[in-house]
Amino acid sequence: MYKLRWYHLLMISPVQLLLIGFIFIPSIYVLWLSLHQSSYGTETIYVGLANYIFIFADPIFWRAFWNTFVVVNIVVYGELILGIGLALLIAGWCPGKRLVISILLMPYAVTEVSAVVMWRFMLEPDVGLINWLLDSVGAGQISWATSRWQALGVVSVLSIWLTLPFTFLILYSAVTTLPRDVVEAATVDGATRFQTFWNVTLPMIMPAVLVALLFRYIFAMRLFSEVWLLTEGGPARLTEVLAVYLYRHGFRYQEFGVAAATGWVMVALSLLIALYYLYQMYRRMFRDA
Amino acid sequence: MKTTLSGKLTTLLASGAVLMLLGTWTVQAQESLTVMGHAVHQSVSTEGEGGNIVAEFEEANNASVEWLTFGVTPLHERLFREASLDDGNVDVAFLLNRFANENVANLFEPLDAYQERDPIPEFEGISAGMKEAMTFDGKLYGIPFRHATHGLHYNETFLAEQGLDGPPKSFEEFIEYAEKLTYEREDGTQVHGFVLGGQGPANIMDVIWASGGDFLTPDFELKASEPGMVEGVALLADFYERGIMPEAYIGFTTEDVITFMQQGRVAMSINPFGRHTPFNDPEKSKHPGEINVTAMPLSDASGVAGVAPVKTEIWALAIPRNAPNKELAWQFIKALSTPDATVRAAINGNGPVRPSAYDDPRVQELVPYADAEKLAVEVAKVPLPGFADSAKVDDMVKEEVQAALLGAKTPQQAMDDLTRRVEPLLPK
Repeated sequence: MYKLRWYHLLMISPVQLLLIGFIFIPSIYVLWLSLHQSSYGTETIYVGLANYIFIFADPIFWRAFWNTFVVVNIVVYGELILGIGLALLIAGWCPGKRLVISILLMPYAVTEVSAVVMWRFMLEPDVGLINWLLDSVGAGQISWATSRWQALGVVSVLSIWLTLPFTFLILYSAVTTLPRDVVEAATVDGATRFQTFWNVTLPMIMPAVLVALLFRYIFAMRLFSEVWLLTEGGPARLTEVLAVYLYRHGFRYQEFGVAAATGWVMVALSLLIALYYLYQMYRRMFRDA
Repeated sequence: MKTTLSGKLTTLLASGAVLMLLGTWTVQAQESLTVMGHAVHQSVSTEGEGGNIVAEFEEANNASVEWLTFGVTPLHERLFREASLDDGNVDVAFLLNRFANENVANLFEPLDAYQERDPIPEFEGISAGMKEAMTFDGKLYGIPFRHATHGLHYNETFLAEQGLDGPPKSFEEFIEYAEKLTYEREDGTQVHGFVLGGQGPANIMDVIWASGGDFLTPDFELKASEPGMVEGVALLADFYERGIMPEAYIGFTTEDVITFMQQGRVAMSINPFGRHTPFNDPEKSKHPGEINVTAMPLSDASGVAGVAPVKTEIWALAIPRNAPNKELAWQFIKALSTPDATVRAAINGNGPVRPSAYDDPRVQELVPYADAEKLAVEVAKVPLPGFADSAKVDDMVKEEVQAALLGAKTPQQAMDDLTRRVEPLLPK
């Protein structure tokens, strides 16, 4: 067993200082701000929990909350299913493996702004390629500008397209390092492909799955650009997500207290999710190992 | 005497060092001035047939102007953040009346004392209404520099194709035009009769005013539920339902309107007069030279022929309280506010804040829409008075108008809901 010595602490101190300086102290400041009424050119006034009471009583906040809940879950689990499928497919038999992987990674190099502009153009009702194709096969058009759920659907697809490479890379590296003899033993024992996947492959890549889920949940919770650039939360604020709600109150209405309170609600939600997945990772990797 | 190679090198290096020092001294002697604004402010004061007004200021004051340009909303977000700091870097800022209110005014210098000490020539020639929009608690916080006043832009080719002779002469005729101009061209292009840039007060008030309605008066009288506003919203909902306005209009940005006009997918739009230039830009537009602009016509119901009140917005030059170089900043404001600078900026595409600029022969010759814009400016109004919650009210109008366009509420219901939501936010 290693004994913790002073030089161990010294060596980890730069990272700890960075975390304290760039995450802990600003978080405490935001917490303090969330208990105040603050705007440009006015005095900051202590208001206790009034900002939290305001957002919890605001129906638009709850709509943003549920929109975030729906989109984040579609994006995270959609990416996970696609990521596992693609990782297994490419790790198995796949001609032109390197080319396919390069193509899969491409969207990660595209900026969110360019991606949204591109998708917006492809989905334009009059001249968009996707809407034209859907229309020509009689499937109708995607009315992302006027329908709440169709707009959120487009946001989900766009977000999956943009960030799938992240999940794919984590899962692909896990799949390619699986011990072949265990998988072969399952096949020799007569397991079907699905049984092998469900009982052998999936449990073995589960730590990587949990890492991917954890990161993607936290990143997806901050979803902003896709919604802001596609619909600005409209029509009638029906497609607003929590980050857009925060932005609107902070930068458009200059209500920093309300924005800070929203930020802390988002932090609390992320912490709850992270705690669950971190516990699962700890259980699988250490306690039950 | 024999000069060695190392000797030559030493002389060369020494000369270089002296030159560098001299260069540094010259640069240091120049005062630097940071100006934060929109790209259009930079272009109208530095490019075009009106000449470079800023270069002349730089030369006269031995100063170097550094421009920081952003889109409208990011510009104000950044400006207010910068102006809130203890030490600032911005000397002069362009402030839009829509973003100015009594709280934000605290971040800027009152300019009355500057004007008294070192006055802008012929200050009374600047529109009194525009100065009023930048006055809070009796103090002037911004010198108007540019107005963006709306006119009715129309594609002459499409009018001819539909057998329409000249622009509409009344608001009722405008509605007929919008219907007739919604058609499919021979090449298969779907043309929409009309479009606006969005659903907020800045975009819809022209139609509301032309319908005889109003939303919020300068003394904060709310008129959203009254017949004029409801009829205007009903007209927009009808246009949207019948495809006179494109389906994507509900999520339109300014750039979308410009693109639609340039691509010939919309026949008429209400936009600032200055958009005449990008709409007819031969490099970007499929219809260069075919898009004209006129003042929005009055309704027949008014009983007189004339132009309807339209939206105007005012950009003013302001000095942040934490500006490092306030005196030079005032000199910059002065340089951009003289009668001659106003005319020259107008020639470069600016909306002149001195009505007399429209009568200048240079403007008459080089700005094709000068007469129409002059008529519009005389009756133009700001869509929303500046107050602390104006951004919230702006969003509420958008939400309720969108609800009416999508058929989720009747126009009357939407405007009744709007009244209920807006009333508590208005200054008492």
